[in-house]
Amino acid sequence: MPIPVTIPRLGWNMEEGVFVEWLKADGDPVKPGDAVFRLEGEKATEDIESLDAGTLHVPANGPKTGDRLAVGATIGYLLHAGEGRPTPPAPRPTGRGEEDTGASESAPARGGSVSPLPSGRGAGGVGSSSDTAVTPRARRAAARLGVDPSALIGTGRNGRVRACDVTSSKTSAKPHAARAVIAARMMESRATTAPVTLTSLVDATNLVNLRAQFKAAGGDVPSYTDILFKLVAVALQKHPALAARWTDAGIVPAASIDIGFAVDTDAGLLVPVVRDVPALGLRAVAARTKELIDRARGGTLSARDMGGCFTITNLGAFGIDAFTPIINPPECAILGIGRIERRPVMDGDRVVGRDQLTLSLTFDHRIVDGAPAARFLQALAACVANPAAWVSS
Amino acid sequence: MTTVEQLALYRAMLLIRRCEEQLAKSHQRGLVHGACHTYVGQEAIAVGVCAHLRRADVVFSTHRGHGHALAKGVPPVQLIAELYGRARGCSHGRGGSMHLFSPEVGMMGTSGIVGPCILQAAGAGYSFALMKSDSVAVAFFGDGAVNNAAFHEGLNLAAIWKLPVLFVCENNQFATEVPFAYAAGNPSVASRGAAYGIPGIELDGNDVLAIHSVAGEAVARARRGDGPTLFECKTYRTRPHAEGMGDYTYRTREDVERWKTKCPIERLKVAGGFATEEIDSEVQHEVEAAHAEAEASAWPDASTAANHIYAAPRRVPDPPAPGERVVTYSQATLEALGAEMAANPSIFVLGEGIGVRGGNFKTTAGLYDKFGAQRLRDTPIAERGFVGLGCGAAMTGTRPVIDFMFADFVLDGVGEIVNQIAKMQYMSSGRLKMPILLRGCIGIGHSAATHHSGNYAPLYAHFPGLRVVVPSTPYDAKGLLHHALRCDDPVLFLEPRELLTHKGAVPEAAYEIPFGQAAVVREGTVATIVAIGTMVPKARDAADALARDGVSVEVIDPRTVAPLDTDTIGASVAKTGRLLIADEGFALYGIGAEIAAQVADRYFDELDAPIKRLNGLHTPTPYSPPLEAAVVPDGVALTAAIRELIAE
Repeated sequence: MPIPVTIPRLGWNMEEGVFVEWLKADGDPVKPGDAVFRLEGEKATEDIESLDAGTLHVPANGPKTGDRLAVGATIGYLLHAGEGRPTPPAPRPTGRGEEDTGASESAPARGGSVSPLPSGRGAGGVGSSSDTAVTPRARRAAARLGVDPSALIGTGRNGRVRACDVTSSKTSAKPHAARAVIAARMMESRATTAPVTLTSLVDATNLVNLRAQFKAAGGDVPSYTDILFKLVAVALQKHPALAARWTDAGIVPAASIDIGFAVDTDAGLLVPVVRDVPALGLRAVAARTKELIDRARGGTLSARDMGGCFTITNLGAFGIDAFTPIINPPECAILGIGRIERRPVMDGDRVVGRDQLTLSLTFDHRIVDGAPAARFLQALAACVANPAAWVSS
Repeated sequence: MTTVEQLALYRAMLLIRRCEEQLAKSHQRGLVHGACHTYVGQEAIAVGVCAHLRRADVVFSTHRGHGHALAKGVPPVQLIAELYGRARGCSHGRGGSMHLFSPEVGMMGTSGIVGPCILQAAGAGYSFALMKSDSVAVAFFGDGAVNNAAFHEGLNLAAIWKLPVLFVCENNQFATEVPFAYAAGNPSVASRGAAYGIPGIELDGNDVLAIHSVAGEAVARARRGDGPTLFECKTYRTRPHAEGMGDYTYRTREDVERWKTKCPIERLKVAGGFATEEIDSEVQHEVEAAHAEAEASAWPDASTAANHIYAAPRRVPDPPAPGERVVTYSQATLEALGAEMAANPSIFVLGEGIGVRGGNFKTTAGLYDKFGAQRLRDTPIAERGFVGLGCGAAMTGTRPVIDFMFADFVLDGVGEIVNQIAKMQYMSSGRLKMPILLRGCIGIGHSAATHHSGNYAPLYAHFPGLRVVVPSTPYDAKGLLHHALRCDDPVLFLEPRELLTHKGAVPEAAYEIPFGQAAVVREGTVATIVAIGTMVPKARDAADALARDGVSVEVIDPRTVAPLDTDTIGASVAKTGRLLIADEGFALYGIGAEIAAQVADRYFDELDAPIKRLNGLHTPTPYSPPLEAAVVPDGVALTAAIRELIAE
């Protein structure tokens, strides 16, 4: 029997994924453990490994890059030696007791009868394997748009190609699954946290000097964000409540200081994590963030790269000073970094130029109260004001 | 009686005889295409009775009606041409021997069905009484009709309402081939008049003078308003039941020959002792000329075969907006009926308990006080009788409203609807109108059980000639009822009983909603539900619920099942690509099947999913509430069906 290659569920709530590419070609041998195709799920793109062996058969109307496919959809087959191309899937047994077969003595179900009409097309499963059931409306839409409907994956019952399948095949810019995930998570954050945002204007003159020294020393220059990773880790160690996680069972302290950071990608916002920041030197942090940014933009983050205890988001490059970032549940807080700008500051009676930075901390008031959050921000401001002592550790 | 009068009777009988002889010959030659039932031997009856009739009086006849048509004044050429299937025929070639119509001379039709002429004559009598005319109606029928319910119900209705009708039984002793002596427990038809309280008179059916004399008295009595009379004219047909049929399996050649010696024409000639050569020759020439003219006349144009099924449609102004005033469905129809009755004195209502009581469902509440007993006429429980009577009334200038109460009740009389009412405009080539409203409640609910719960729309919609209306809102019910009471077609106005108490906005003034215009109850984009009757509010609710989940469903109410507005349904399918038809009635051979077939035929390329139906179970309606609820689709089933459809 041909073994169907199907879209796996990559997360608890995943209903559909975006097909990225085949990692094996039609006719390639596949062993258990081989990565067969790449799929963009809710959180990340995964290489999907086969659990079975066989020769990969990709149908003519197999999935194309960017196709959104329901979990469980068949996209290809693994064939054993000598097996021919499989017939289309047999009609799904409806199992509905209320089917009206025309026999009045059939057992009645509550609420009347749904009676199917003959569709006018030969029933699925008996036609030739190259048959793709295409609705009349889809056929007409395909003719109008110049699409070959037999090349499409149908989203209708038994894989029937419907008009929406034709029109969506002509839509080039598809929303990524990530967008829907972002939307859902933002709404979840809004709905389940009690966010309060504190802002603090801190003196970044020494921070700017410190980075200038790295520049002068040559080699890879850590970004301000990289430096702030280290400073935030210090502040979190002093105020671990800001790294705690809300669960239904209670507030759980962080096992390690894993700090996520927001990366803007074509597919939307992603938040990869740098693990155990206190254990890493600044250059190691910088190397790690660079790799994560590359992978985020390349769509190759995996689930292992996600999920920390605190998040940093930096909009300074866009000239933003203060903002109200949204907590990444189940984390307790998120730090927004604004732009660093040289501004006139009173030094006694004199006006002097100093580099200034606004920090915006949104915290979940369920987990911590305003005062401890403010103390965290105060501690962080102190680190920013005199960073050198902390970045070498 | 003067000799001149006697000669006129002689001539009339001879004309019938010669025509029948010509038709018998023509039948042998193949000029008559279908059945040919001759009147040979019975001429005295038609002639003796019709001699007293005016042009405005009307005759309803049987399958053996050539003699009645000629006696009432149909020219021989029109009779003969009709049997030859020519456009010149009195029914323009649509009828033949058994469907002779010439309303211009008061010949209101012969019928292939035994019995309806009795009821239709009673209906004509009702029209004449209502319109205060002194015209009379005559029903000619054979002994085969008197053991039929139409005889019983028709004579009783004519008796209780003292209608101006002559019921003339031509007892020729055989119903086709079944002897009356065998078929009748009481061998005296005349004596049955007593059962209904009307005079019953036995006559020698071959004695034209006797018939003429007694008929004169009966016609005068009817004109005076003293009520109906029953004649039993004992006679014999001396030719077979139909030309070409064998005759001696059920009677003997000797019997036939003996009766030929009692020929009514010879009998009058002998009794009168007058010379007839001139008349004989004149009649002979007249019939030969009629035959020649008929044979030479043109065939009907085949392209007209489907003409005259319905009256020409009227253009009506667009209906007004519903406005602010809210009334119940029942109140809305009551307003329409009351307003039309006030405007049109030819409208009258027949039904059980629709008089003083105002109708089981308050369909006529308060109207009895305004319009009186003659226009709000309580009936005996005799559905076939009063439906058939309504047919005759509609043929003769009045507009009956038949209130069935429950539509189930009329099934005993459904032959009058599909065989007579539905076909009358067509058979008369559009010369008769059929302005009759047949209303009753349909549908399942409140443990009404199986004889008070039927959904019958598809039954009637199947037949050409009927309009079938199933309003679902007070607004539609009022507008459609106004239209029904102004159109000349028979209308089945089927009111879903479970909706009678529903309220809705309805303008106070009269307005019409024309037939064949579906309502878009709710607009939507991903699926179309065509809902019938009680399913309309359920579909609207389901669509509202689905809209909250982002599923946009369009709901269409055809409002009239016949004619069906496939254009509006198709336009909706073109928009959504998906179609569900929801109907409490049966799926099998039902409205949904018809809509599905028409949409698949005309809008195949618009379909993005198979067409689906949601119907009540194909079962009689049970009584117990849980059983009853199990046979009717509810909102849950409807919502599930839509979701299934969208997943197709």
